[in-house]
Amino acid sequence: MTTEAVRPKEEEYSGQFNWSVWKKVFSFAGPYKRHLRRLVGVALIVAATDVVTPLVTRGVIDDAVQNRDEAQLWFWAIIYAILALISCVCFWTLIRLAGKVSTGVAHDIRRDGFRRLQELSFSYYDHRPVGWLVTRLTSDCDRLSRITAWGAVDLVWGGCTLIGVSTVMLFLDWKLALYVLAVIPPMVWLSIFFQKRLLATSRKVRKVNSTITAAYSESIMGVRTTKTLVREEENLHEFGGITHDMFGASVRNAILASMYFPLILSVCGFGGAMALWMGGVDVMAKLPTSMSIGTLILFISCARIFMFPIHELSRLFAEAQAVQAAAERVTGLLETEPEIKDSPEVRSAIETRNESGPQAGVAIDGQAEKIETVEFRKVSFAYKEGKDVLKDFNLTVKPGQTIAFVGPTGGGKTTIISLLCRFYEPTSGEILIDGVEYRRRSLHWLQSNLGIVLQTPHLFSGTIRENIRYGNLQANDGQVEWAGKIVNAHEFITEFEDGYDTEIGEGGTKLSMGQKQLVSFARAILADPQIFVMDEATSSVDTETERLIQNGLAKILAGRISFVIAHRLSTIRSADRILVIRDGRVIEEGTHSELIRLKGEYYELYTNQFTEQRQEEILAGKTQQ
Amino acid sequence: MSGKCKFLWNLMSGQRFRYGAAIAAMVLSAAIMFLPPLIGRAAIDYVIDGKELYAPQFVKNFVEWFGGRSLLARNLWIAGAAMVGLTALSGLFGYLKGRWASIASESIARRLRNRLYDHLQHLPCSYHDKTNTGDLMQRCSSDVETIRMFLAMQVVEIGRGGVTLAVAVPIMLAMNARMAILAMLLLGPILIFSCVFFIKVRNIFKQMDEAEGAMTAMLQENLTGIRVVRAFARQGFECEKFGEKNARYRNHWFGLMRVMAWFWSCSDAMCMAQYGIVLVAGGYSIAAGRISVGTFFAFLMIVNMYLWPIRRIGKIMADLGKATVSIGRVGEILDEQCEDHADKVKIAPSRAERAGGEIVFENINFAHEDGTHVLDNISLHVEPGRSLAILGPSGSGKSTLINLLLRLYDYRDGSIRLDGRELREMDRKFVRSQIGVVLQEPFLYSRSLRENIKLGRSAAHDEEMVEAASVACVHEAIADFDSGYDTVVGERGVTLSGGQQQRVALARAILKDPPILILDDALSSVDTRTENLILGALRQRHGRHTTLVIAHRLSTLMSADMIIVLENGRIVQSGTHENLLKEPGLYRRLWKIQSSLEDDLGLTSQPTE
Repeated sequence: MTTEAVRPKEEEYSGQFNWSVWKKVFSFAGPYKRHLRRLVGVALIVAATDVVTPLVTRGVIDDAVQNRDEAQLWFWAIIYAILALISCVCFWTLIRLAGKVSTGVAHDIRRDGFRRLQELSFSYYDHRPVGWLVTRLTSDCDRLSRITAWGAVDLVWGGCTLIGVSTVMLFLDWKLALYVLAVIPPMVWLSIFFQKRLLATSRKVRKVNSTITAAYSESIMGVRTTKTLVREEENLHEFGGITHDMFGASVRNAILASMYFPLILSVCGFGGAMALWMGGVDVMAKLPTSMSIGTLILFISCARIFMFPIHELSRLFAEAQAVQAAAERVTGLLETEPEIKDSPEVRSAIETRNESGPQAGVAIDGQAEKIETVEFRKVSFAYKEGKDVLKDFNLTVKPGQTIAFVGPTGGGKTTIISLLCRFYEPTSGEILIDGVEYRRRSLHWLQSNLGIVLQTPHLFSGTIRENIRYGNLQANDGQVEWAGKIVNAHEFITEFEDGYDTEIGEGGTKLSMGQKQLVSFARAILADPQIFVMDEATSSVDTETERLIQNGLAKILAGRISFVIAHRLSTIRSADRILVIRDGRVIEEGTHSELIRLKGEYYELYTNQFTEQRQEEILAGKTQQ
Repeated sequence: MSGKCKFLWNLMSGQRFRYGAAIAAMVLSAAIMFLPPLIGRAAIDYVIDGKELYAPQFVKNFVEWFGGRSLLARNLWIAGAAMVGLTALSGLFGYLKGRWASIASESIARRLRNRLYDHLQHLPCSYHDKTNTGDLMQRCSSDVETIRMFLAMQVVEIGRGGVTLAVAVPIMLAMNARMAILAMLLLGPILIFSCVFFIKVRNIFKQMDEAEGAMTAMLQENLTGIRVVRAFARQGFECEKFGEKNARYRNHWFGLMRVMAWFWSCSDAMCMAQYGIVLVAGGYSIAAGRISVGTFFAFLMIVNMYLWPIRRIGKIMADLGKATVSIGRVGEILDEQCEDHADKVKIAPSRAERAGGEIVFENINFAHEDGTHVLDNISLHVEPGRSLAILGPSGSGKSTLINLLLRLYDYRDGSIRLDGRELREMDRKFVRSQIGVVLQEPFLYSRSLRENIKLGRSAAHDEEMVEAASVACVHEAIADFDSGYDTVVGERGVTLSGGQQQRVALARAILKDPPILILDDALSSVDTRTENLILGALRQRHGRHTTLVIAHRLSTLMSADMIIVLENGRIVQSGTHENLLKEPGLYRRLWKIQSSLEDDLGLTSQPTE
């Protein structure tokens, strides 16, 4: 899977300058206003020293040439030393301030973005790959924070240096100044021309580079397939095409870069040459109004001074579009409202309840804490409009019942569970908890009363203990181990050298799939939920372990409502009710023996399952007959 | 170290001349760059101030011949034009240097990437089994990038720094030795400071990278596990955890900025001091009449040229260490031997040739590199066009048998023959081209389904592809996708189920139409009903391929011409379905499940009556 392919188009810019976006960019720097003001002040001082330094050089030359032995060079030396000192101190302050602002702004945007992402509905996630979201909070944030701090510095310092030096020149000799200043427009034009292209080519390089990475990854993962299909030569040929693109893009980028500086230097040289010619003629005339040799040298070197501010400013300008696009994306994220959240009524109920303080048996939204029944009433759902995944689904669950869903993949089993957990809300119909439509209860309350175990268990990097404790942050070590024992994970955990403190790596890579399922099971049990939800929770666990889990689980499930999606027979058979779901509809419903007698879909599923499971047992050598 | 140099030198083959040209251009560019200040000096002293011309005799002669001071004074633009022209010329060489150096270094990088890619494809499976994909990826991407940067930038930058100094020092010494020494007074300290600084702060850079990595990893983990976060309503907890990582990254980043503030301001101070020394000493020298204004001007210009860039050398020096590490890491991969390095190919049939498909295993023993025994004295014989089914518990050696036939692993003892010819003596690519394999977890490339299926035989027509897909019972599923056969595997929103992936891989193998077809638990994720359809369709093609089937379901195996049962690397039973049913053993036990199912159904239906 190439990373490029899954990423929505993100590097296309509207080109239009959007003032409101820029206002938002600078509003991020709001908390650092004080720093930013000081930053601007310091940048001004730096610009001033940059303007004055050439004057000191001029002073030294003129003083030395005109006054010879009476020249007061120590005076200039002191002035220069002071200037240098101020400049260095200011520079130091400048970097620190800009660092403070840029790191701070990046931190704040990331913090807000992360918080927002925790609230956004799953429908938001469905359309955006994780990689895309990560980029928003990493490189986009960095880009924005850079421009708020360093962009301001470049603007102030660059602008003021340009204006300052020009003013000094105009003041000293306005005619000659105009000749030299004539290099500014072509320099600006050249800079912008190249910076824009350089930005585009380097973006292209990055893009091709990620294709190369994807190709490597594919070739390593699919090495057996490549070998068996004898695709080595074709693959290399195709890969050669990509590296050829990379070659072209990088060389283009490098060539542009190596054209840029020589051209700018030549333009600078042109300014210096104009100064030498025009100024030199004036100096040679030796009139009383003629300029001094020091002034001449100042003019010759001034064209060079322009180079850096113009370079920085044009880079800023070229980057502006990319920054604007980043800002649009980031503010887009920050301003997206979650589709599923507590209604105003629920929020006010939570507030009233907060004021009155906690009460036994009362949930945070002021309604009953205990969940007795769950009812789906004519629930339909579609991820995409017009494509119903679930149609007119009805189900009433009585206290303590276990409901099992079976049926082919894509039939809608997982959707029912997602709706129950309020990861999505029904497109029509309602879900009632103890007779109350669940949109009138607190989202947080509902979700913290659910214990969910998914087929692909997601664990966080950290220790096994931390992962189990995720279910109940207050649990002590004894409780964690108790949960581990119930799901029969205790044994394999204690076999690790570090036991419960074993680091499991990112995403739990150090554990097998079955082990991960057990840990995530223990996590859910520790949460002590009122409703238990298991979506193929033990599919990768061997039959023996599964049987052991069932025994422990029976105690846990007693008195709780639970929903199970499973293909393991033991889990299904003991359910109070079994629903066979296909194409978003319930096609069979009843207890195990009722459905077997029906000899329909369930019968077929069950017999297949039975055969497979037994085969597996025999092949694993578990049951010797 | 010398090994690494040799590695680099070999990599550069074919580009060495271009590199040499780039270096020559760099020297010229640096040398010419110093001429404009010298012309400025001459213009100021000789033309404007009316002093003597300090220059080599031939230059003096040339100036005299050209028209001397009076002509130049009347046409001062000539000096200006010469300055611009020489700057442009230096720029031109600079450009050529950049162009050639980038073409050379990018060619090398391209060759390195291609070589790595091809080498990885040809490394034996045993190598891929024991290496970590993430680590390989790291070496192929960021290590190659480090080497590229080293070749494209670092070598050139250091070279330029050296050449600039090498040109500047004699020029300055020739102008005025005392001033020249003063102008270089702080050069050493600046260079040392920058090197020492960057080597010292390497850790800070690393820590910041790590803090950033930790934050990104946490973000990634949170977003992929967002369902778990919601399911346990742990948003607050996650925000706190992220807040900590976020703040740590900010602090490290800011810490780096603070250190950099010291670096830039200190090195600036030293540079300004150096400039100040030249300025004041120059002033005194002019006052004392030891140097001319023009010379002073030239000194100021030249000092500016080399002073500021020198500060960057430290960073580059500090990064050099990284490049040597990267070269080592990439070299390690390339030093591994390809799977066919020791092959003695005696029989080299053309790949277009079609084998008959007779397979013979004779006394095959096989153990993994770590010594675990996998196959023990296996002998079997499959006639062309017949089918062999292999049954056995996991770990019994079924897949190893297949892997040996495919030459994914090399057998040492015993003999495997295809059409009577020893496998070891044939080109392994020929052997593989005769076999179509479908694995339990098939790998599909991230391209369209059409291309994926046609990988089997790229010249195939669309009708043939559809036919193959129909045999594999996946045509309807594909036609249901919005873009049909043009659906790109793995692209947003389109994910194939395990069963669909298996069927696409099967279609690919069927389209290839090989003499030998191997299904290694290839239909495990396909439901029984579909599996029966597929098997029925395959049975109609009976006789076309020699077929090897590994499966757990008896329904898949029972119709094979011969069935073998493997346990612990040995063939414990073999025969047809009927024969095996008569013997006690694994096969019969599996067969009996059917009756135990009837028991189970009978038992469960009674109590509720």
